[in-house]
Amino acid sequence: MRFMAGVDVGSTQTKAVLVDEEANIISSTLVDTGSNVVRAAEQAFAEAMVRAGLERNDIDYIIGTGYGRFNVTFGNDQITEISCHAKGITHMNPNVRTVIDIGGQDAKAIHVDATGDVKDFVMNDKCAAGTGRFLGNSAEVLNLELDEIGPKSLEATNPVRLSTVCTVFVESDIMSHLALGRSVENILGGVHRAVAARVVALARRVGIEEIVALTGGVARNVGMVHALEEHLGVKIFVAPNAHFIGALGAALFARERALALK
Amino acid sequence: MANSVKESQEPKSYYQGGLHLLQKELMTEYFDQMTRAAEGAGPPAVYLLISGNPVELIRAFDLLPVFPEINALQIAVKHQSLPFIQKAEEVGYSTDNCAYVKADVGLWYQGGQAPMAKVPKPDLLLTNYVGCNVYLHWWEHLRDLSHAPIFDIDIPFIRTADGEPREEDITYVVRQLEELIPVFENISGKKFDPDKLAQVMEYSKETGELWAQIKRMTVNRPSPFDAYFDAVTMMGPLYTLRGTIEGRDFFREVLKMVEETRRQGQGPLPEEKFRLVVEGPPPWPNLRIFRDMFARWGAVFVASSYSTVGGLWEFGFSHDPSDPLRSVAMHMLKWNLTNRNFLQRYQQLKSYVDEWGADGLVIHSVKSCRLFSAGQGDMREYFARQVGVPTLLVESDLEDPRYFSKAQMRTRIDAFMESLEHHKLVGSGR
Repeated sequence: MRFMAGVDVGSTQTKAVLVDEEANIISSTLVDTGSNVVRAAEQAFAEAMVRAGLERNDIDYIIGTGYGRFNVTFGNDQITEISCHAKGITHMNPNVRTVIDIGGQDAKAIHVDATGDVKDFVMNDKCAAGTGRFLGNSAEVLNLELDEIGPKSLEATNPVRLSTVCTVFVESDIMSHLALGRSVENILGGVHRAVAARVVALARRVGIEEIVALTGGVARNVGMVHALEEHLGVKIFVAPNAHFIGALGAALFARERALALK
Repeated sequence: MANSVKESQEPKSYYQGGLHLLQKELMTEYFDQMTRAAEGAGPPAVYLLISGNPVELIRAFDLLPVFPEINALQIAVKHQSLPFIQKAEEVGYSTDNCAYVKADVGLWYQGGQAPMAKVPKPDLLLTNYVGCNVYLHWWEHLRDLSHAPIFDIDIPFIRTADGEPREEDITYVVRQLEELIPVFENISGKKFDPDKLAQVMEYSKETGELWAQIKRMTVNRPSPFDAYFDAVTMMGPLYTLRGTIEGRDFFREVLKMVEETRRQGQGPLPEEKFRLVVEGPPPWPNLRIFRDMFARWGAVFVASSYSTVGGLWEFGFSHDPSDPLRSVAMHMLKWNLTNRNFLQRYQQLKSYVDEWGADGLVIHSVKSCRLFSAGQGDMREYFARQVGVPTLLVESDLEDPRYFSKAQMRTRIDAFMESLEHHKLVGSGR
């Protein structure tokens, strides 16, 4: 059996996925990207091999994706995360037509067809509003861990209305709500709603066609899934490996290319 | 990024070639004229705007046309716009203000010393385009700084369904041009000479016709030149030297070169894999980086709306020596992109997509110019959904380098090209 890899170097975290010739997922790993992007890519890939009990020689083809895709120096090719998310999500659920991917510093909406082909896509412009960073900054101001804010936001009874979607100014906005005595839960409810509104506006530009999937690191945030479902009025599909969809897509492209070479 | 792969590999290309060298020679001479004028040894300078510019009237009085937009973009292409922009911000211009304006105002505060020339102070500020209210204020600021006289030509927007200007609009503009003539007589110290104007109009007519022929050559496969990255090279002489024998000769020469390239079946890239249409001004501060992002995919721009901001010769316009003022008025009213309504802009892009056989449309939206960029979101949707052409919208700026993010731009362009490539592979391409 031969194996292929996808390495997704994101702004915050780097993911690696190994697949076999039959497109089964063999292993997935996640490391913080940090400042040494090349090393993060190598580390994620090495851990994925260790976890699968494989060696470098067992891997036929490697594709890098994400912002750091050109730092996957050991890779055969690079493909953008847009194509990879479309590819990966279609593998998990071929009925998905709209992919919303919220990463550390960007948000994108992709319209895909049944073959995983990108029909259209839009991304946020040079601004981190509506991205993972917005949620991260909010958590920091409230002295909470990132994985705490989602569940807490679900307890909001009367979510606040933020006056900004700016990732920088949200801090002072949150401080002013705290000063007014609003609860942390209600503030977080407002934070998640603000991101949802921003992301849905983006997604409407490619057209919302069901099934809608959420991918990327933020998909692990139940509060975000809930806020998006509320705003869109549709159920959102979240794959169990939502965080790894980009890397999976890259691995699937690697598999196609490796098989084509045979 | 020292360890990155591929990204650093320069794509092989043959952009510009001989026509670029020829253009450089001509533009260097033009910039030298500006420097001489700035040092008091040249004709009086008339500042004017690109859109539908009436440069013929300026040439008929042997005045020196100065286009602050060209000066600004030249500074940006040479990667030197930021200090000028920051100078303007220091004196109070907002970060959101048009960066052409800021670069030019910053240039004023630096004594007019630009990288390519010393820019002469204006002897007349001609407001020949009123579609942009920011531009009107730009000229007012230049008046306040220079104390030069200002002459506004009010040009009504095209607001008829068929795109034809109304007869009273034409008369209205012609009357204003008639009023402009004594102003030119005054600053030039020369009496108006109808024969001289007719000669200028003859050169201009031939130049426009040559340019139209050149522009049409890109329907060939492969396209002999890039209608964005090479066309902008030709736009300098088209505006600064139209109505002169040097300008006319330049376009005669270019047509020959382009004909030859076409005859040899060559183009700007070793292989033309994709034909694209582009809307919007280029990111001047990152022109080469932006160009290479398409070149590495074998993507050639076969048509661009930006190359028609100064005139729409390729759609049948020609200056008329027998009725100069009316034809100049028609140029200003009807035959330039920026005075047209949105439906006409859609139509123009659609004809490029259809007649030029394009695989996709790229919209480069610029932060500086909200006027040019307004409606481009709808434009994207119209082309992507109703016309059914793959359409990409990217954003940066035409002057301010701070709005260009290389990694973000590359990701969007690569994703778009990946999907075009996929369409080609599976045969669902146009």
